[in-house]
Amino acid sequence: MTPLFWRALLRHPWRHPWQLGLAILGIALGVAVVLAVDLANASARRSFDLAMNRITGHATHRIVGGAQGVPETVYVQLRLERGIRLAGPVVTGYLPRADLPGQLLQILGVDPFAEAPFRDPAANATGSNVDLRALLLNPDAALLPSALGEQVMLRRGEQRFILKRAGTLNGPELDGLIITDLSTAQTLLGKAGRLSHIDLMLPDNASGEQLAEQLRAWLPPDLRLEQPGMRNQATADLSAAFSLNLTAMSLLALVVGMFLIYNAMTFSVVQRRALLGMLRALGVSRRELLIGVLGEALLLGLAGALLGGIMGLWIGSGLVHLVTRTINDLYYVLSVREFFIEPWSLAKGVALGLLATLAAAWLPAREAANAPPGRVLSRTDLESRWQAALPRLIGIGLALLGGGGLILWFSDELVSGFAGLFLLILGCALLTPPAVVGLVGLIQPLTAHMGLLARMASRDVVRHLSRTGIAVAALMVAFATTVGVGVMVDSFRGGVVIWINDLLNADLYIAPPAIEGSGDRSEAVAPAALTVLRNTPGVAAISTYRGAKVELDGRTLTLIAAELAPAAQAGYHLMDGDSATAWQAFQTGEAILISEPLAYRSHLSAGDSLQLPTDRGTQRFTIAGVFLDYGSEHGRILLHRSGYQRYWQDPVVGSVAVFAAPGENLASLRERLQERLGSIQPLLIRSNRDIQSFTLEIFERTFTITRVLRLLAILAAVVGVLSALLALQLERAREFAVLRAIGMTTAEIGGLVSLQTGFMGAAAGLLALPTGLLLAAVLIFVINRRAFGWSLPFQVDPMLLLETLTLAIIAALLAGLYPIWRMARARPADALRTE
Amino acid sequence: MNRRNRYGWRIGLLAMALIIGVTGYRLLQPSPQPTGGITVGSALGGGDNVGYQRAYQPRPLQFPTDHGPHPEFRNEWWYATGNLSDAAGRQFGYQLTLFRIALSPTPPVADSAWRTHQIYMGHFALTDVAGNRHYGFERFSRGAVGLAGAQATPFRVWLEDWALTGSESAIFPLRLHAQEGEITLDLTLNVAKPMVLQGDRGLSQKTAEPGNASYYYSYTRLPTQGLVRVGDHSFAVSGASWLDREWSTSALGPDQRGWDWFALQLDDGRDFMFYRLRRNDGSMDPFSRGVLVEAGGQARSLRWDEVELQPLGEWASPNSGDRYPAGWRLRVSAEKLDLTITPKVADQEMRLTVRYWEGAVAVTGHAGDQPMNGQGYLEMTRYEPSTVIR
Repeated sequence: MTPLFWRALLRHPWRHPWQLGLAILGIALGVAVVLAVDLANASARRSFDLAMNRITGHATHRIVGGAQGVPETVYVQLRLERGIRLAGPVVTGYLPRADLPGQLLQILGVDPFAEAPFRDPAANATGSNVDLRALLLNPDAALLPSALGEQVMLRRGEQRFILKRAGTLNGPELDGLIITDLSTAQTLLGKAGRLSHIDLMLPDNASGEQLAEQLRAWLPPDLRLEQPGMRNQATADLSAAFSLNLTAMSLLALVVGMFLIYNAMTFSVVQRRALLGMLRALGVSRRELLIGVLGEALLLGLAGALLGGIMGLWIGSGLVHLVTRTINDLYYVLSVREFFIEPWSLAKGVALGLLATLAAAWLPAREAANAPPGRVLSRTDLESRWQAALPRLIGIGLALLGGGGLILWFSDELVSGFAGLFLLILGCALLTPPAVVGLVGLIQPLTAHMGLLARMASRDVVRHLSRTGIAVAALMVAFATTVGVGVMVDSFRGGVVIWINDLLNADLYIAPPAIEGSGDRSEAVAPAALTVLRNTPGVAAISTYRGAKVELDGRTLTLIAAELAPAAQAGYHLMDGDSATAWQAFQTGEAILISEPLAYRSHLSAGDSLQLPTDRGTQRFTIAGVFLDYGSEHGRILLHRSGYQRYWQDPVVGSVAVFAAPGENLASLRERLQERLGSIQPLLIRSNRDIQSFTLEIFERTFTITRVLRLLAILAAVVGVLSALLALQLERAREFAVLRAIGMTTAEIGGLVSLQTGFMGAAAGLLALPTGLLLAAVLIFVINRRAFGWSLPFQVDPMLLLETLTLAIIAALLAGLYPIWRMARARPADALRTE
Repeated sequence: MNRRNRYGWRIGLLAMALIIGVTGYRLLQPSPQPTGGITVGSALGGGDNVGYQRAYQPRPLQFPTDHGPHPEFRNEWWYATGNLSDAAGRQFGYQLTLFRIALSPTPPVADSAWRTHQIYMGHFALTDVAGNRHYGFERFSRGAVGLAGAQATPFRVWLEDWALTGSESAIFPLRLHAQEGEITLDLTLNVAKPMVLQGDRGLSQKTAEPGNASYYYSYTRLPTQGLVRVGDHSFAVSGASWLDREWSTSALGPDQRGWDWFALQLDDGRDFMFYRLRRNDGSMDPFSRGVLVEAGGQARSLRWDEVELQPLGEWASPNSGDRYPAGWRLRVSAEKLDLTITPKVADQEMRLTVRYWEGAVAVTGHAGDQPMNGQGYLEMTRYEPSTVIR
């Protein structure tokens, strides 16, 4: 292969920069979205690891307790009686900033004298600036990250705390972290006498194992010895399904990009049919031609991947905030919100872009290599081959649909769910060209009466099927994605609204001012406040709740210990189990109700039983029923308060729901309660509407990132329309010149182009609707169920479908504008002379 | 009356703990910064004394109350050393010192049980003479939530599981327990001689400045028995210990370099204590002082010019490069004492946040015409390579 060969081959894209540019943009968009999502996921994961590591440090084990944490006396005993020296007490939690709303800071309270072996952050604190004396003595002394000022104001409920710098924590991974003495942290977090956990370093050998066993035997039953590494892993896994969902959606964008590349390469091969035939005649082998075209595609892909890399970094830095916010809302607190550039993600994104380009260019390259020497590869050849291939396309498309369906039906993994989904989409894409032909046939009787232009326009679509088919398929996939995701989100919201309305059917909800966003529910409603709540006139009934964490097969689940008013029971929608008997069994405190995700994940149903680790050892509970719940994808367990008190040493009530007596004025009841409770304890009283709107707000936040990805898919689709239709129309410059020469006006040809692109847009939009609904169905009934264990209703908003169709047509019409403008300015004679 | 060298050095130790603290959490890191060079005087400025109680005049010491802590003073320690041997004659030396350091004169806001201004530091050492080994350990803790503390009745001073524990009603018999790594010490100390009040009825003046003094008393001979464990080997041991008690709010003069402390128990039943304060030029400071306790318990003070001390040879620490005297010749002409003091193990350097040499010594020589042997403990501080020894 001589340089001349390459120059001959590469001159074409060089001479057609717009074509080159759109192809590169297509692949760049695909790579950018994949990379951005990957970077955002990796950053979130890295933030999590950092946050965990800065807390876990070098600890090999830790002693943890129940809702109340670990009594500090256990730590003293550990050192004095057990002689265990490598033990560090930790009090940790999150507090919101009072001086900058919305920012959450992690408080890490440690004992400086026990600290050094465990954590580097403390040791890395700027040495000469750390005032240990102040840290130990002053309730407002703290090691603050360098990003914060000299002092920071925090809030817990109504209380305000000012912390002043007694030393500086350096490094981005320490952003959002505040280290204080243990005493300060206890005060800040309201955990007097309690530790969050005790860190231990046990030797990694047989004697360490033995020591761990001895400790397990020594610990009181409500405390456990666990390995933080495993716990961190389990916590990180919480959001795995969420990350996987994002990745899958980003891959959809790449698929759209691949269609674009395929389109661009096919087009450039066909345009150079004369050159390719000549090269063959000159002795260039098939293999060389194949490599040549693939090489060209590779260059294109490289440019696209690099551009995509840059765009991906930019989009990713925006996405990471959305991802971490969602994780904060749904999973665990991430106080590090740094955007980390993972070289591995970058490499992966670029490689994926190149691979996608090569895969998409394979068919056109083979096409070029198969060009008969000397003879001009004619467009007609290609088109007739496409026409001939239609039945085969239908066959393969149906086979893919069938295969996808089978995979979805017979597997129960999330990953195979996505595999099935992709097969379905691919199948639909392959069926698109035949469907376009079918559509043209359908409107034939219509166009017959609309004059020459309309007939020409519709037949042209079929005549240029090699180009139009791919373009419509790419558009169809892009728009189907937006339909599918849109319907899924709408359905989800619909389900959540109904669920939350039923569940939160009490009039007022009362709880201590929890540390917002920190998941900390350790504060209690005072018993005196409970008495007031029960005895205030106008209160018909109350329900009490207490949230606790239980470990089940390495996962942390929420246990709700509740005493429910009859109306509150009615709010639970039982999906399995007989309502009357289930609630009867529940009242005994020996039977539990479990949420749907837990039932789905652990293959449990009413009548089964579940073993839970209680403060009095492992206890078996009968499952009386399964309730609909979108509150946690990991599952929740509802247990009657009497049972909770029997098996757990925790008399605390965390929150109360109040049902007003019929006809009671809520505003005055609220005032009355406020007045009576005020002297006992600061408590937050909220109406059910407040909580419902708060819940929906979180829901909306969660799906922001989904919407962003959907927008990006639409953007890719619009670029696809532009590039495919531009190429198609510009290629026909000579044809238009002939039409002009035989007397057609510019306006008429403009109309022809608009009709044609408009038809293609409409075809893509129309075909996207059934595909999108299929996609939505799979997302709702397969993907969401497998990822989160939720069953969702299927709700379609007709407006969404109409929007999609309109958008597709408008995008297509826009794509026709430039060719029309160029054609109108060109002198027909020039265009004719080129041949 | 001036014991300011010994005193000052221990102040220095405490000050060092604070300095280390002030330099961050690195204090227990595996690679501590060199700390030997930090000067004590500059670390404890005069202003630091403000608000603390000081020892202005002798006062009758009250027992058992004064065995317990005096948190209104800045510094305090319980300092036990001793020489032990098992039935086969295998010799050991030990040191267990628990220091109390106040970070502020008044207690901080009582917002949490962990909040305190009282910090405890512990030094624990064992010398295995036959094994030619010396082990030294250090600990810190806050005097809160029961992790560390001191109390008079029943007597107990502890830093986690290092503890000095008295009986129900008295300080003796005193149980001493310490364990770290492969070393365990479990001893019972009985009292053979009455307590010696140091200085003027227990008031030990440090400099001419009023209040720059400590309350100080000693038990110079405590018959001891118990158990020493090194790794898998246990030894039933007996011997004699020495206990020093001191509390103050005081600081060093600027002209002193370091000091050497001798606590010797002679075979004729007499106990001898002397500290030699070294000036920057290596000479003995006139504030150096000592005490000689008869077998019957009568004590007599020794002025600096009554004692003659001469370093013998030199031992250079392979770890720190510090050069310490390898032994001493000690003469008290009034008592016709001429003694040679030899470390039982050359390397008994305490390489902790503060570096010093403290270890078991053998005593040979004579009193008049009589041969006179014994054993004891020797402390030598501030022997950086630049130190003048003479």
